[in-house]
Amino acid sequence: MAQKTPEIYSVELSGTEDVGKTDTGDGKEKYRGLKDKRLELKKNHQKEELKKEVDLEDHKLSIKELERKYGTNIVTGLSSTQAAELLARNGPNALTPPKETPEIVKFLKQMVGGFSILLWIGAILCWIAYGIQYFNDKSSSLDSVYLGCVLALVVILTGIFAYYQEAKSTNIMASFSKMIPQQALVIRDSEKKTIPADIRLLSTQGCKVDNSSLTGESEPQSRSCEFTHDNPLETKNIGFYSTTCLEGTATGMVINTGDRTIIGQIASLASGVGHEKTPIAIEIEHFVHIVAGVAVSIGILFFIIAVSMKYYVLDSIIFLIGIIVANVPEGLLATVTVTLSLTAKRMAKKNCLVKNLEAVETLGSTSIICSDKTGTLTQNRMTVAHLWFDNQIFVADTSEDHSNQVFDQSSGTWASLSKIITLCNRAEFRPGQESVPIMKKVVVGDASETALLKFSEVILGDVMEIRKRNRKVAEIPFNSTNKFQLSIHETDDPSDKRFLMVMKGAPERVLEKCSTIMVNGQEQPLDDSTAEAFHTAYMELGGLGERVLGFCHLYLPADKFPETYSFDVDTVNFPTSNLCFVGLLSMIDPPRSTVPDAVTKCRSAGIKVIMVTGDHPITAKAIAKSVGIISANSETVEDIAKRLNIPVEQVSKRDAKAAVVTGMELKDMSPEQLDELLTDYSEIVFARTSPQQKLIIVEGCQRQDAVVAVTGDGVNDSPALKKADIGIAMGIAGSDAAKNAADMVLLDDNFASIVTGVEEGRLIFDNLKKTIAYTLTKNIAELCPFLIYIIAGLPLPIGTITILFIDLGTDIIPSIALAYEKAESDIMNRKPRHKKKDRLVNAPLAIYSYLHIGLMQALGAFVVYFTVYAQEGFRPSALINLRVEWEKDSVNDLEDSYGQEWTQYQRKYLEWTGYTAFFVGIMIQQIADLIIRKTRRNSIFQQGLFRNKVIWVGIASQIIIALILSYGLGSVSALNFTMLRPQYWFVAVPHAILIWVYDEVRKLFIRLYPGSWWDKNMYY
Amino acid sequence: MVIQKEKKSCGQVVEEWKEFVWNPRTHQFMGRTGTSWAFILLFYLVFYGFLTAMFTLTMWVMLQTVSDHTPKYQDRLATPGLMIRPKTENLDVIVNVSDTESWDQHVQKLNKFLEPYNDSIQAQKNDVCRPGRYYEQPDNGVLNYPKRACQFNRTQLGDCSGIGDPTHYGYSTGQPCVFIKMNRVINFYAGANQSMNVTCVGKRDEDAENLGSFVMFPANGNIDLMYFPYYGKKFHVNYTQPLVAVKFLNVTPNVEVNVECRINAANIATDDERDKFAGRVAFKLRINKT
Repeated sequence: MAQKTPEIYSVELSGTEDVGKTDTGDGKEKYRGLKDKRLELKKNHQKEELKKEVDLEDHKLSIKELERKYGTNIVTGLSSTQAAELLARNGPNALTPPKETPEIVKFLKQMVGGFSILLWIGAILCWIAYGIQYFNDKSSSLDSVYLGCVLALVVILTGIFAYYQEAKSTNIMASFSKMIPQQALVIRDSEKKTIPADIRLLSTQGCKVDNSSLTGESEPQSRSCEFTHDNPLETKNIGFYSTTCLEGTATGMVINTGDRTIIGQIASLASGVGHEKTPIAIEIEHFVHIVAGVAVSIGILFFIIAVSMKYYVLDSIIFLIGIIVANVPEGLLATVTVTLSLTAKRMAKKNCLVKNLEAVETLGSTSIICSDKTGTLTQNRMTVAHLWFDNQIFVADTSEDHSNQVFDQSSGTWASLSKIITLCNRAEFRPGQESVPIMKKVVVGDASETALLKFSEVILGDVMEIRKRNRKVAEIPFNSTNKFQLSIHETDDPSDKRFLMVMKGAPERVLEKCSTIMVNGQEQPLDDSTAEAFHTAYMELGGLGERVLGFCHLYLPADKFPETYSFDVDTVNFPTSNLCFVGLLSMIDPPRSTVPDAVTKCRSAGIKVIMVTGDHPITAKAIAKSVGIISANSETVEDIAKRLNIPVEQVSKRDAKAAVVTGMELKDMSPEQLDELLTDYSEIVFARTSPQQKLIIVEGCQRQDAVVAVTGDGVNDSPALKKADIGIAMGIAGSDAAKNAADMVLLDDNFASIVTGVEEGRLIFDNLKKTIAYTLTKNIAELCPFLIYIIAGLPLPIGTITILFIDLGTDIIPSIALAYEKAESDIMNRKPRHKKKDRLVNAPLAIYSYLHIGLMQALGAFVVYFTVYAQEGFRPSALINLRVEWEKDSVNDLEDSYGQEWTQYQRKYLEWTGYTAFFVGIMIQQIADLIIRKTRRNSIFQQGLFRNKVIWVGIASQIIIALILSYGLGSVSALNFTMLRPQYWFVAVPHAILIWVYDEVRKLFIRLYPGSWWDKNMYY
Repeated sequence: MVIQKEKKSCGQVVEEWKEFVWNPRTHQFMGRTGTSWAFILLFYLVFYGFLTAMFTLTMWVMLQTVSDHTPKYQDRLATPGLMIRPKTENLDVIVNVSDTESWDQHVQKLNKFLEPYNDSIQAQKNDVCRPGRYYEQPDNGVLNYPKRACQFNRTQLGDCSGIGDPTHYGYSTGQPCVFIKMNRVINFYAGANQSMNVTCVGKRDEDAENLGSFVMFPANGNIDLMYFPYYGKKFHVNYTQPLVAVKFLNVTPNVEVNVECRINAANIATDDERDKFAGRVAFKLRINKT
């Protein structure tokens, strides 16, 4: 870095304005830009580097050193030429947008992914076959060309469909670049302004910034020029890019811009994190491999058989195509997509917005949730939680609407306390919100004052009116040196001409100024025992992780301070000691009321909830306890040590179920130690963690083979959100970066919505199993005809086009309908599935579908086929080895079993009738298949035959589509359908009933003998 | 950081496979113990046995619905097709007059085909029927079979009968005989009680020119009603299909001629768009002379 010439340039993003212009009109704040290239990282080490802690040292340097380092002057700044030069070298102050995969690549991926490649091979084989045919005989039929085109069309259409579905749901990381252009640099009229780059502060005036998007701390942080902490994220003399300045003014020097800012580093960290395949994508890939493996091996096997049976190679190729088409469930992947998007829609209604369709299922297999605290588990606003007066701690209602304040309000102390709370408060409601509920009103003021204002408004009514009646005559605002706030008011009692002085502040400071204490409305001298009681209460509330404020007042004697007395806050011409202590009030960002229940539900669903927060360990632990992340009866090592009064080292780690780990401790841990930590403790809270550490925690969980969900809202969470198997961002509080890195957005920021999501995710996994089992079954019924055709020489029982009509026609709606099936048992009471053991398509599923139901279906469909041929004149025995003569165009007098003679077209028509019959046979049995797939374990009658209405829509659609194909399009010869006699529609019914009965028996034995041989082999 | 997937070495894969095939610890062969395999095999034996039985049963029930004598439906055969003899691969009759081999196979086929038509066999097996009317043999409540068939004597084919014919149905002289037959359809009353005949024409104008003249046997290509109706293979054991022989007398040599013959019968449509053989037959004729 020494060789680089640091220069100052204007902070204006466009780089076109010169230095003078940054001295903005009101002169409240000046920025001088500096460029620092220290953080330029070697590309190949980038990721490793990024995983280290944020590396910044400028906050430790003095101003002089800074000037030297950047070769600039804090008064005059950079010359415009230097600035331009630097801009050219370092680029504008903007984040590099992440590289996007080109759309065309995404599209092509859809075109060759999954089964598409098999179908492409099929299509190309078709065209090759035609080419050979055409070469031999110019008049050969175009059938194979059509088939090739149809196959290509199927691939292209399903590809477009999948691409469209995906395009609809992906826009990851797009808004990182959107959040960049910030031209306004100056803080005016206390409106929030975003800091345009990382700056080292040179001079400040009551400056407070909101770092919540970066660190997750919900409270505004004061900024000053002093270096206060080694960690750049904690020190007070650095202002960060994209954080907002809430109040005060500051002047600073730009030390980092664009990608080199802390936010920029996090952003590139997020985009650098590889997004692994979702569990469902892995499952589907596994399934595609199984099916493709079966298809290719049967195809090649029969190709060899056909060739060795002296079939022409050309014919063998056509058989191969038929086998591939029969084996590939063309419609299934589209069905899965639709099923997932249906669930996604259902989840969106329940406030889980799914960005990445596959994430729908991921949530269901989640085994660890790493939850952020602020905003997710908590309401993200300070709220009065406890009060202490009259030597008693009172609990305030911290629920979202504060409606249920039950503490004793009859005491005189409360009357005084409430007056102090109301009067000693600078926060005000924004005007024009009369119709808004109190808790939702926008307040101008800091978080604690807002909490107090709302608290008093709820209990006392119109605070503004009370303040009006008690006119303020003087005020000392809060500052960090005296740590109290004081104001003097006229009283609203017209007979009482005294002034009321009210004060609030850090409890110990306030107590110092008091000589009396109010108990039950009576002033009493402050003795040791009351002071002791105060300290106990203070420690107790502090131990709950709450921020405690002390309140006191003093009625100024009317003789010394007449009505006309002029108070001067600079000389303090009024007493500030010997006040009367009234009470304590503690505030916390309280947990959302729905969270404890949701955490319990996660527990019973076998999901481990880990809290990861940037907040203090005490607060984190308190919240963790109150929401049940640390359950009531479990202790940390420290708790045990404290209880037994022994050093922490002596406590056996086995005894502790819970652990609170800080970022500092985590920093010194090896991955093995982290693994140990994650496995040993069931209840873990990580506090004071940095974004990089969140990432390390997520990785640690993933090493346990867990499917990890991460919730978060800040920019700092985005790398972890991306790394997680499923990242969940907060919709209301969440930053754009978090939302973009996430797979799912909780619209109501409510942790409880995750539980709904888990339930839906688990259900969809079960239902996808059913859908796939349903779809795979008929593949055997479609495949057997080809095998029999090759081996026994029957006229082809079902055509390739007809197969496509089943796969993409009659079967589509029923298989989607299975997505609407209700759960068979309480899915929230079982463990999350093991991502390597509980497969979507397992051996029993494939075997049961292919070799049991599939085979029964094939037999049933053959019965229909043989019936049609027999009743038209060709008995089954006559069909054997008839293939060659049957297919010859020149044979126009083929004799049937009765001596009648058939022309080629008459036979062809009969063949199509056979296709239609076989098709109807499969369709009828698929209805039975659909019904049996409603459950995997329970009887259909337990599940209720009519509970899922969509199934019946599916059945109706199957029948209607088949009727249309047969009777409506029966005359279109290209489709190979004919009008089938009505009675043939019922031939397969006995087999359909057999399928149902057989499956009921299977389920019965599974229920009767759990864990038995039958259960192991027959339950899928 | 993406966790690197542990890549299995080749040896490990082989090792895993070995263990899959035979696991000495658990005594599992291909993932199952001996008992488990026994169970599985027994199960599939019983299950597939049952399925076979079920299939056989349904097929048997289905076949009960089908009569031995007449098919249940004949809707596809409303219009009988026409066909030629000699039967060739692409319906083309190619005769190289000088090359005996080129037509000898046709002659062999025709000899075989016409053997049942020999007068002696006909006289022995079939009845002499009254021409011009259907030879009906109704069952009248009792099955009446085998049914009798009418005689179609080879001699009726005149010059094309091939009896004592040194020209081998004209093939050796370039005046070949082609036989037209109508497909058998059970209980079909061809001609609807009116006389019917077969006519042949060249398909296009130039074909008509090249075709030249021809003679037909029986005269005018008539097919008599007495050969109908057909009662099926099982009933009508000795049924003899009526034939029409066409002898092409002066086909332009060395040219492919497209010939189309059709039956003119009141109840046989010959204009089906899709079925090119409904009531008609098209074939190619080529006489090569050097």
